[in-house]
Amino acid sequence: SLPAGSWVPSVTPQDILYRGILRDSCTSQPLPVLPTQLSHFFVDHPEDAFGSLGKLLHQNFYLGDSKLRVSVHSGLPPCSGCPRKNLVPRLRWFSHLARDWLFEVPLGLLADCVHEDLLLQWASLLFDDSPTGGALAWLPPKDVGARTGRLVYPGGQAMNHLYFQDVVLEELPCARGSPAQFELNGRIRQVAAARADGEDFVGVRSDYHCGVWRVPGRTGAAPTPLQVIRTSVPASCLTVSPHLPGELAVCTQSGAVYLWSVETGLQRLRHDPQTMFFRDHSPWRWSDFTAHPRVLSCADRTGLQCLDTRVSPGGCHFDLFKVGEEAGCQQGERVVLPMYLGRAYPSQHLVTTQFSVYVLDERLPLVPVLKWAHMMKAPPLFAHLTPGGPGRSHKVLLGASRTQELLLLQYRGEKRGALGVLWGRVSSVPTSQPPCCRDRLPPPPRPRSVLMSPLLLPTGLAAALQEDGPRESLLIFQLSEAGDVFCQKLTHQAAAQPPAPTPGDKAPSPAAALRYRRWLKAFSKVCGQPPRHTRPPTFGQKRLFTRKELEEPSAPSALQGQARRWLRQAMRDGGCLQRWDPPPSALPEPPEPAEDPDPLSARLTASWCGDWDGWWEGRMSSSLAQRQRALRERRRRQKRARGRRSLSASFTSSLTYQSELSELSDPDTAPPPRREASPPLGTSPPAAATPPSPEEALLSSQSLRSRGIPKERRKTLRDYLAVWADGPPEPPELPGSQASQLCIPSSQSQLSSASQPRRKRPRMGF
Amino acid sequence: MDSFLEEEEDDEEAAAATKNAAVGSALLPALHLPSLPPHLYQPGKGRAVGFPAKSKEVCLSYIQDAMLRKQWKRAAEFLTFYIESLEKDFSTEYMGPSEVIWRIGAEILCHRFHNNMKEFSSFIEQMKTLGVKRYLKVCLEHAFHLLCNGQIDEAYQNLSLAESWRFGEQTAIQDKEMKLIQAYRGLLDYYSWSKQKNILLEHGQDGLEDLSVEQEMHGCFRKAAMNLKEIIKIPGVWDLFVKCYVDLLEFYGDYSEAREVLNEYAYNSKFPANPNAHVYLYQFLKRHGESKKSLLSALKILHDIVPSHELMIDFHIMLQKSKKRKKRRLGLEVIFAVLDYAGWKENVKAWSCLARQVKQIVISEKHLDWIKQEWDPRRDWWPAFHFSRYSAKRNWQENESLSYEKALVAGILLGKGCKAQVKRFRILKKFLNKHNPVYLRLSGLSDSSVQP
Repeated sequence: SLPAGSWVPSVTPQDILYRGILRDSCTSQPLPVLPTQLSHFFVDHPEDAFGSLGKLLHQNFYLGDSKLRVSVHSGLPPCSGCPRKNLVPRLRWFSHLARDWLFEVPLGLLADCVHEDLLLQWASLLFDDSPTGGALAWLPPKDVGARTGRLVYPGGQAMNHLYFQDVVLEELPCARGSPAQFELNGRIRQVAAARADGEDFVGVRSDYHCGVWRVPGRTGAAPTPLQVIRTSVPASCLTVSPHLPGELAVCTQSGAVYLWSVETGLQRLRHDPQTMFFRDHSPWRWSDFTAHPRVLSCADRTGLQCLDTRVSPGGCHFDLFKVGEEAGCQQGERVVLPMYLGRAYPSQHLVTTQFSVYVLDERLPLVPVLKWAHMMKAPPLFAHLTPGGPGRSHKVLLGASRTQELLLLQYRGEKRGALGVLWGRVSSVPTSQPPCCRDRLPPPPRPRSVLMSPLLLPTGLAAALQEDGPRESLLIFQLSEAGDVFCQKLTHQAAAQPPAPTPGDKAPSPAAALRYRRWLKAFSKVCGQPPRHTRPPTFGQKRLFTRKELEEPSAPSALQGQARRWLRQAMRDGGCLQRWDPPPSALPEPPEPAEDPDPLSARLTASWCGDWDGWWEGRMSSSLAQRQRALRERRRRQKRARGRRSLSASFTSSLTYQSELSELSDPDTAPPPRREASPPLGTSPPAAATPPSPEEALLSSQSLRSRGIPKERRKTLRDYLAVWADGPPEPPELPGSQASQLCIPSSQSQLSSASQPRRKRPRMGF
Repeated sequence: MDSFLEEEEDDEEAAAATKNAAVGSALLPALHLPSLPPHLYQPGKGRAVGFPAKSKEVCLSYIQDAMLRKQWKRAAEFLTFYIESLEKDFSTEYMGPSEVIWRIGAEILCHRFHNNMKEFSSFIEQMKTLGVKRYLKVCLEHAFHLLCNGQIDEAYQNLSLAESWRFGEQTAIQDKEMKLIQAYRGLLDYYSWSKQKNILLEHGQDGLEDLSVEQEMHGCFRKAAMNLKEIIKIPGVWDLFVKCYVDLLEFYGDYSEAREVLNEYAYNSKFPANPNAHVYLYQFLKRHGESKKSLLSALKILHDIVPSHELMIDFHIMLQKSKKRKKRRLGLEVIFAVLDYAGWKENVKAWSCLARQVKQIVISEKHLDWIKQEWDPRRDWWPAFHFSRYSAKRNWQENESLSYEKALVAGILLGKGCKAQVKRFRILKKFLNKHNPVYLRLSGLSDSSVQP
């Protein structure tokens, strides 16, 4: 609706949102109360508000001979022009919007109108769907091997000129000749093209007009405009039929879908202001062609339907895609851009939403053949399909406007018409730096800030496939908001060969396997014992230790080497390592209460059981009988506590993995903790094994708590054990009493090692 | 679905509320966006657009940039920084950082270490622990990755492990994913079953019976059948599983069960209309030498669902052979419908089928009304779609026999109006001249039908 030829910069968030003066008075409300604001404006800036009108009307009024006096209002200097003219860009915008009609409209009404418009502007700032489809089209060369194609794009200050530019694909594409140019009656929103019968048909959509051009097959022939239609409601979609020459599909924001044939005119297929599957506010509609030339797909934000044009409106249709459960959609997910993939597979469609890309097959509607999360920040508004030849993958480019994202998808099906599709390698191409520019002259290098400016936001996307023998490259053209065309070249590189798998771990041939099985059967018969088919217990070492911990130390120490040699020797002999056999007296035994334990261990035992107070009292009291009674009671309590502890341990371990269960039930097969720092030389009996690392296993407050030790005792115990840890590194020659004392924690070391994975369970959300 | 509706109603209410409220709702985008551009966040509203969120975003864009340039090492380094963002991952977004890390990390590892399985597995193990909701999904994808690299046993083990995983009360989604995992395990059982079957078939001819292999095979069969049977009870598209299950049943001679499974899969209205289900049923019936009638009825349903299916040529030929007039009539309808579709546009077989039947009808001069009934709705668009000058030229250059078949049909249907198609074939011209009255009658009939 803007006059052609005058360039108006598009709205920026700063134009609508108030950051400056009004921030203090209405921070709670993003939009100020407009009548108040307007009256402020009239009072504060009378020159700006009334000056132009006054100048215009000046000649027609006779104001008498006396000199005109300007009464200056409250402190504002009588300067000409707004003092904040350069500072506040929104005023520029505001005055542009309002200067023509501001004085004729009552303030209240005006405020309502402007408010409504600002809401619309704001909505389109957040997500503008009017450029959906993109305003750039690439008409590929007519013959195989030819190098001259054509770019169709809008230009001019109001983007109301349509250009057809011949482009020669060389190392870098360059424009040839001057473009054919057409001036149109409005801003061009979308340029769509398709080839039918060897001729290109280009559809151009602006808000209230749609036009179609024919580009003849001969190179250099001038494009001819065929027809223009006018719509009363802004059109939201225009697609060109790949099947029949001169057929297009048009949608308007009122919910009407038309099949537009140049020969027969418009045929309305549907008129429904409501959305198809559930209610959505968006008036956006889209339509595209399908494998059947008489069946059109029709989309809104809630899904896709197929309409048969041969029957009466609303007669025959089927649902192709529904936002909802069948497709596994997210809440709030909406269709953003559908596309017919006919040039790759005749019956497939691409549907993009804010979150995902779906491939649908008309023959199996509602169930997507493929779903893939595209991870783009903004919804893709442009899509371009470059079909690959036989044995080559098809390439789909998705582009977003505001975030300047570009995504290249490659996919490949099994055979023509097959349902299965496989996505190939996917790479995202953020094009914050378009490497080369349009027209014959490459652009001067621009700083990054300029490139990121809104004038360079893409509003169109097209691609051309360039084949030089085996080398294949993809030229990506992008149209910026200011009308520049950028080009980017992606060249295919053969992937580096992965290193060949090492020979040696080849699977045996089936025949060999069979022979082996026979042999095994015969063998087991001889042995009189059926082979057990139970799987050996598996151990999840990865979950117990990190990779770093499992790593071999760089060089084994001499002691380790010796230990290994002994081990190997013992294994070869089939004997056991006599040298390390502990004396039978070293076997753990329960503490003897009859014996007089040394004071430290008694105190420790007591504190371990949480009865330190009792111990202290017992020690203080002189009566022997009292002490004996106390001891007996302590033992009882100790037993009870141990029973409780083992019960809880078995309960929690039943929740863990099966592999851990097997570890628990069969502690002998548990892998020894591979902490090679201190070789466990003197601890061969498994029950008496020292805890793997007492500092870690015992000192953590968690494990202490799990043993029922009250908080105030923990520090004592920790200090005590810290003394142990700091002590001499060779504990093999333990005094008998100490060894017997240690057996309580050591009998738990099994538990603690088994409960270590239990501590990891929060990773699964506990 | 309900949730979507509810959301809509909420929005509606908000819009109908006071003006201030309307202002508030208008500040949200009409479309729920994955991430609002940061410059659109309101200043002074106290939204969390602090440094961490921004640096996270920048980091992600660096990762993407590095991946684009195939600088996998650099990408991996950035990813380790990005992992720190997990610590403050309270996002309720659809694609939170953990999902991003999972996907990007897998991509980087695949390229950096050339599918080093050990590295990849340890990475995936860590990913499994990142979120309960994603555990089964990651397991399944890991199994696929192992399968792609030929590690079938590991994949099997992985699936078994995933199967034994439990977390709290199972939600419906978890239940579905679990079923899927079981089904894929069943598929692997089927795979080992068929491998053993082949061994037996190869070496069974030596006369050596092998009980243990057979026993193991039966074991595989039982496990596979149990799991596959479970999943195909749920409405959905289970082509792969159904095929394997039917194969198992057929091998053990349980035809009635196989037929029941296929019938259920094809005709149960709870399942999505799946053309493959009818194809499998048809193939099964054909394998077991069923009567022509049942074959035709299976194909008739397929024709109703997908008129452009490959089997429609078989269907047409079968109908053509029939003595019944009604069936031959249907055959003509089928072949016309096939040629409506863009995918069949240059298929010689389909065109020759149509040409043969049309020729038969013209020579016998019976049932010309059949052609007319089929031709009438196509009269306005077939000429441009099939018989344009451009396509005649191209067909002639690329495939002469196609050109001949099309010319015959065009000559009969269009009469003299199709010079482009016919001019090269002298015999055809003669034939058409001989039967010129046919065209006149075709058009005449149509004229008379238009007149009243």
